[in-house]
Amino acid sequence: MVQISLPKNSEVQKGKYFEDKTGSKNLRKVNIYRWDPSTGGSPRIDTYEVDMDNCPSKVLDILNKIKNEIDPTLAYRRSCAHGVCGSCAMNMGGKNGLACTTSHAEIDGDIDIYPLPHLKVKKDLIGDLDGLYKQYQSIEPWLKNNSTKQTTEIYQSKEDRAKLDGAYECIMCACCSTSCPSYWWNGDKYLGPAVLLQAYRWIIDSRDEERKERLKKVADELKLYRCHTILNCTNACPKGLNPAKAIAEIKKMLATANV
Amino acid sequence: MENRPLSPHIQIYKWHISSLVSISHRITGIINFFAITVICIWFALMLFGETNYQIIKFFLETFLGKFILIGITWSFSFQMLSEIRHMIMDLGYGFELQTTKITGLLVIFGSIIMTILIYLFGRGII
Repeated sequence: MVQISLPKNSEVQKGKYFEDKTGSKNLRKVNIYRWDPSTGGSPRIDTYEVDMDNCPSKVLDILNKIKNEIDPTLAYRRSCAHGVCGSCAMNMGGKNGLACTTSHAEIDGDIDIYPLPHLKVKKDLIGDLDGLYKQYQSIEPWLKNNSTKQTTEIYQSKEDRAKLDGAYECIMCACCSTSCPSYWWNGDKYLGPAVLLQAYRWIIDSRDEERKERLKKVADELKLYRCHTILNCTNACPKGLNPAKAIAEIKKMLATANV
Repeated sequence: MENRPLSPHIQIYKWHISSLVSISHRITGIINFFAITVICIWFALMLFGETNYQIIKFFLETFLGKFILIGITWSFSFQMLSEIRHMIMDLGYGFELQTTKITGLLVIFGSIIMTILIYLFGRGII
């Protein structure tokens, strides 16, 4: 259901202010969402003054700098720092993206950093993505081939392989799904752009033999048709993919094919 | 565990042209639903005599009446253009980020231009 306001326990309070201690002239204010499960209470926004003269170009560099030099209690996911693993997905300057590939120069004014929207927060910038992973599992994201006798390689033409471009590159960072208002309101049933893009990836794979079953499974008022082409997903994708188009293609297949 | 807060969503998420057009499409849809109902009732009332016609005419000539009429004209124009945009998208076209921006702007400015044209046309100026 549409729920514009946040529940009582999620209302954000003003938090601590960490003044700069380096004496730098080139400072930027960074506002970060904080919530600690061990103390509980309401989430708060802590503000840090960060010396930008000694900070590399990405938002992740700011977070690392804060954690290393100012406040070691800050929690956030990160791993590869090269836009490959998808761990550091978060909301920066009002837009979802990967902290390791988003330049802080792109953000005007103070830098606001929140966890991915509309998730149960585990700690600080870490949201709970279990629901999304369960949905991912539900579309059975693996090759299904019924011929048990075939022991040789399953061939795929160059043209058929090209159909997977723009779908297989997804790193499941959840930037798109958590940017989608439909997913905010109906995330328990609507599969969301990330999972639907993967559903599409297996539907169009020429080697997969359960195309019809896959289509049938996804053809559901809530699972698929909650997409209203708002296009927050395509705008958010840090890999430049187009989940909205993939969803439209699935809808088109259902409208034209005899499933 | 149960007391985990929900991270902020619509409060913090940045608007862009496509999301604005999408939400406006819904809002104008609701407005049009009621507008059509009211227009139908007006037409039905006219069947019951001239006094009803006079009352409606008097109301429509007030500032509020004119505002509502122009508002409805815009809301219809917007809904129509936006629906065309969505139909093209349903055919699988126009999903590139740049294209969505352009078509979104076309809908916004097109609806305003269409409203002005309908107004001028209705006044007999063109």
